[in-house]
Amino acid sequence: MKIAVCVKHAVDETELKLDANGSPVLAGAPGKMSSFDKNAVEEGLRLKAKHQGEVVVFVVGTADSKKSLKEALAMGADRGVLVTSDPLSLDSFRVASMLAAAIRMSGPYDVVICSEGSSDTYTGQVPPMLAEFLGLPYVGYAKKIGVEGGAAKLERSLEDSVESVEAPVPFAVSVVSEINEPRYPTLIQIMQAGKKPIEELVGDQVAPLGDYSQVGVKSMSSQPSVRKHVMIGGTPDEAAAKLVEALVKEGVLK
Amino acid sequence: MAAVDPVFAAAYAVTVASVVLVFYALTAHARRGSVSLSPGRLVGLTRDEASRLRSGDAVFLMHLSIALGVGLSIANSLLVPVLGYVPLLVTLILVLSVPLIAGLVASFAWRIERFVRSKAVERGLKASSDFTASSSYLQLILMLAIALTTTELAVLWSPSLVLAGSAVGVARNVLVAAYYSRPSVNLIGTYDKPLSGMKVPFNLAEVMAGKTDPESVRVGVGKVSEFDPAERLSFDSCVEIGACEAACPATAAGRPLSPRVLVRKVSLLAASAEDGSADPFGSVGEDELWSCTSCGACVASCPVGVEHLDVIYDLRRGLVAQGKLDKKKSAMLQNLAENQNPYGFKNSTRAAWAEGLGVDTVAANPDAEYVYWVGCVSSFDQRAQRIARALSKILKAAGVSFAILGSEEACVGDPARRLGEEGRYQELAFQNIEKLNSHGVRKIIATCPHCFNALKNEYPAFGGRYEVVYHTQLISNLIREGKITVPPEKVQKVSVTLHDACYASRYNSVFDEPRAALEASVEDVREMGRRKEKTFCCGAGGSNYWYEVPQQRSIAGIRTEEASQTGAKTIATECPFCLSMLDDSTKVTGAGMEVRDVAEIVADCL
Amino acid sequence: MKSVWVYSESESVSNEVASAAVGVAEGAGAMVQVVDIGASRPGAFSPGGKLLLKGPHPDITPALAAEALARAARELQPLVLLTGATRTGREIAARFAAKMRVGCMAEVANLSADGASFSGDRNVFAGKVVARVSCQFPAAATVKVGSYPKMAAGEGVVQEKEVGEVSDPVRVVGREKKAAGAVDLKSAKVIVSAGRGVKKKEDLPMLEELASEMHGALGCSRPLSADLGWLPEEHHIGLTGVTVKPDLYLAVGISGQLQHVAGMKDSKVVASINTDKDAPIFQASDYGIVGDLYQLVPALRKALASRAR
Repeated sequence: MKIAVCVKHAVDETELKLDANGSPVLAGAPGKMSSFDKNAVEEGLRLKAKHQGEVVVFVVGTADSKKSLKEALAMGADRGVLVTSDPLSLDSFRVASMLAAAIRMSGPYDVVICSEGSSDTYTGQVPPMLAEFLGLPYVGYAKKIGVEGGAAKLERSLEDSVESVEAPVPFAVSVVSEINEPRYPTLIQIMQAGKKPIEELVGDQVAPLGDYSQVGVKSMSSQPSVRKHVMIGGTPDEAAAKLVEALVKEGVLK
Repeated sequence: MAAVDPVFAAAYAVTVASVVLVFYALTAHARRGSVSLSPGRLVGLTRDEASRLRSGDAVFLMHLSIALGVGLSIANSLLVPVLGYVPLLVTLILVLSVPLIAGLVASFAWRIERFVRSKAVERGLKASSDFTASSSYLQLILMLAIALTTTELAVLWSPSLVLAGSAVGVARNVLVAAYYSRPSVNLIGTYDKPLSGMKVPFNLAEVMAGKTDPESVRVGVGKVSEFDPAERLSFDSCVEIGACEAACPATAAGRPLSPRVLVRKVSLLAASAEDGSADPFGSVGEDELWSCTSCGACVASCPVGVEHLDVIYDLRRGLVAQGKLDKKKSAMLQNLAENQNPYGFKNSTRAAWAEGLGVDTVAANPDAEYVYWVGCVSSFDQRAQRIARALSKILKAAGVSFAILGSEEACVGDPARRLGEEGRYQELAFQNIEKLNSHGVRKIIATCPHCFNALKNEYPAFGGRYEVVYHTQLISNLIREGKITVPPEKVQKVSVTLHDACYASRYNSVFDEPRAALEASVEDVREMGRRKEKTFCCGAGGSNYWYEVPQQRSIAGIRTEEASQTGAKTIATECPFCLSMLDDSTKVTGAGMEVRDVAEIVADCL
Repeated sequence: MKSVWVYSESESVSNEVASAAVGVAEGAGAMVQVVDIGASRPGAFSPGGKLLLKGPHPDITPALAAEALARAARELQPLVLLTGATRTGREIAARFAAKMRVGCMAEVANLSADGASFSGDRNVFAGKVVARVSCQFPAAATVKVGSYPKMAAGEGVVQEKEVGEVSDPVRVVGREKKAAGAVDLKSAKVIVSAGRGVKKKEDLPMLEELASEMHGALGCSRPLSADLGWLPEEHHIGLTGVTVKPDLYLAVGISGQLQHVAGMKDSKVVASINTDKDAPIFQASDYGIVGDLYQLVPALRKALASRAR
């Protein structure tokens, strides 16, 4: 079974710095593999363990994104493909079209796995767009995948229900984090994975920018995250009323 | 001169042969396990045993009775031909035999109790019937050996039974050769191995520098053949004494672990698999390994020097290498990788506790005599931050010049190492050492015994050599030297009992100093039964703070109960993890006790 | 006149998305059309009249909905398709955008438009940053659920459009409601969390009711689940339990050990009640009340009730 897993080298929001204007400094910001993508890699590895074959990991990003590929390789993936581009200038459409092109070049694959969304921007749009571009049947938000012969049985986790679906192989899928517990690659395993092959493709060459309405960022502003430490006094009734009022003002109480 | 009785001569010859057999078995095991039986080692062992004698530990005394009983009876049997000429020697032997017989009888009684309890433990662990049979067999052999030795010593009092005594002695010697020569050799090999010693399977700096090929690095054990010969000698030396099981906090809490059962299972598995390919995780459960708090009570209590922790660490490393970690454990490791602390706080906020206290960073005050290594708990836990503030107050009052690393400090790595992720541990260790060395740090104070142990005992192997002092040591020194004084009216009128932290007391023999500090600052210091190097774990060590395993009751709950039985109103701790665990526990058990660090108690008196 | 399409995934979602659409339509000089597929859905208000796409079965997968919408869009040329940022809505909008080769903005609020483009705010980097994103028409977007008032239901003119049959190789073979009341602390917007300040198990229903009155879920600190067993393990928030990031975290009778704080430190707003003014939880809180939870919880419930009236 040939399995493609798409990951994102996401901005590490815990390390995000702000400039003097309160806007986040994204150029050169430290990155890490988007947390849900580890579930996607893990699911690929589990499918491989059951059906043999190969797990190939794809990432769109700068050279720094190799870190995420290496982490996936350390988890057990066989090889990686880096599609070079500056992800900060790309919208979901562009990312999906670059991934589609790279996957088509080294395919065909039996299963294409993404996670439900990225930990930094969480649009959740790349997986369905990718499926459209590849012309593959697609199942979103899978919490269980079972492949038997030429067909797959999956369970989708929706807001208030769980849907059981059947899809033909090949197919594309996005997984939710409850699908598995991703394995932790040890530091030594990460170093050992240094010898696994990584292929590099140039994003703008494999998927030239076509004519479409690209989504762009006009501005960014930060929300302060420091605790306020407001102590509310008074009788229990007064304090409770003041607290409710404050929470409504914060917009966290409906 | 009377003619030699041929029956006695034959009996003597057989006795001598059986003694030779014992020595042959000893040398054979020593050769196989590469253990030196040099006089130096034997003298060292004798000294070590003598020092343990002072602790008055019952299990140790019983075990010593067995060893000395065997020694005395063998000596007697060899001296038979000359005894008739030296009546004083006979008297001496008879006098010596009395306490040994008493010790042997006590040992036999204790063995019966252990037998019953060990079977209950095995039922709780759902051990296989094969295992139980093998365990019972070894325990019965031990009882037999004790009974034979007791009989032999008793028979000395009745000269008419000399022949019967020889027969009993020969039978016992055969048992010793067959079953107890290996554990004896193991003890000779390991008696001086420090509890803090841990196998270092690779050196990350060498791997990074390309001197070691990462492909060649093997961490932990995935199949039984991967245990090294010393470990193999160690776990094969278990003769079902059960001292470890009696001391183990995990067993006491009804967790799925008995150190005795664990090493015996591994030993049986290693013996059964001819090619050594057996998967240890087929018989050792994951939760069994995660149940261990690394408190070291098993290793410290084992009379024959079995190193249970080595086996546990190697198997944990094996689990980590196979990716067998649940979310809580992998999240902790991930946090260490990304934030240099195991909780996921931003490391830049590490020094928030010191705001407004006028505590310098090393960068700002490079001439400070000490670096105070705060540790993650006291940096990020709002409750434990009070320990850091209390120590700062004491140091300032005493005029000790100190500084902190601030956000340059990273987790010491202990949680990663105890969990089995050696690479992440070494990464943090090398990073910390680089920081400390770049500031030219020479002296370090620690308030967390896990940090203390790593900095003091582990970092030298990676190039970090510092004079590391534990805060309770420094505080008691400051009191002794009169640098801080507690005026009589400030001595607190409370009753306090000290809970020794495993990594301070058992691992590093720091236990008199916190007591001295408490004696100087509170009116009434009480002691728990299990104290000093025999302390009982709080349940957080060995990375247990970050996950949970199934258990019938909490380890901290057991300890809190012991503390409340002293009648003390305050539990004094010396470790932020102990503080957290016991604090939680006193709330649950309703013991109504206060839990405070020694530093907090002393700081209140200034 | 150009139109702004609102896909009617469900009545409550489309009523909200329609509110967002009104702003876009005004700015762009267009009209709002709620689009139903297969059969007209009741209730969804549609100022610019409703569009009913005929052909597909009303109970369809996101793939089919996207295909039906794309077929109609190729002819009718809407300015933009808006869906709710639900799991279904996200897939439909993204697939529609891919098929139409247009941009797609994700989970936006505060939408506005001029003649050629529209913009909206979205939370990125775990809510630490608000980004204003924009896109030229034609486009698609998903609207953050809960960010707009629901537009009142009403009737509108129904325009019909035949799009033909569509088929999806993915077959739905079963659907099960997720168990009601199952604790899903990870997705709860409000969490009321109980600590050792709660004296007995019988007092927990009081907090459970407070949680449900705040439209939230009940969590607890470790002692309550692990040591006392008053609540099942899945309620346990902390280092050895679940990690949560709700909009509002109300800690009741929790001292605030690191063990607990590590599991809730990323909550947007934290309020806490504790009798001990030195309780560490106050250091991790935006709002704190020093007092007895047995007085304050009833008082809070009273304050919430009087607000509801």
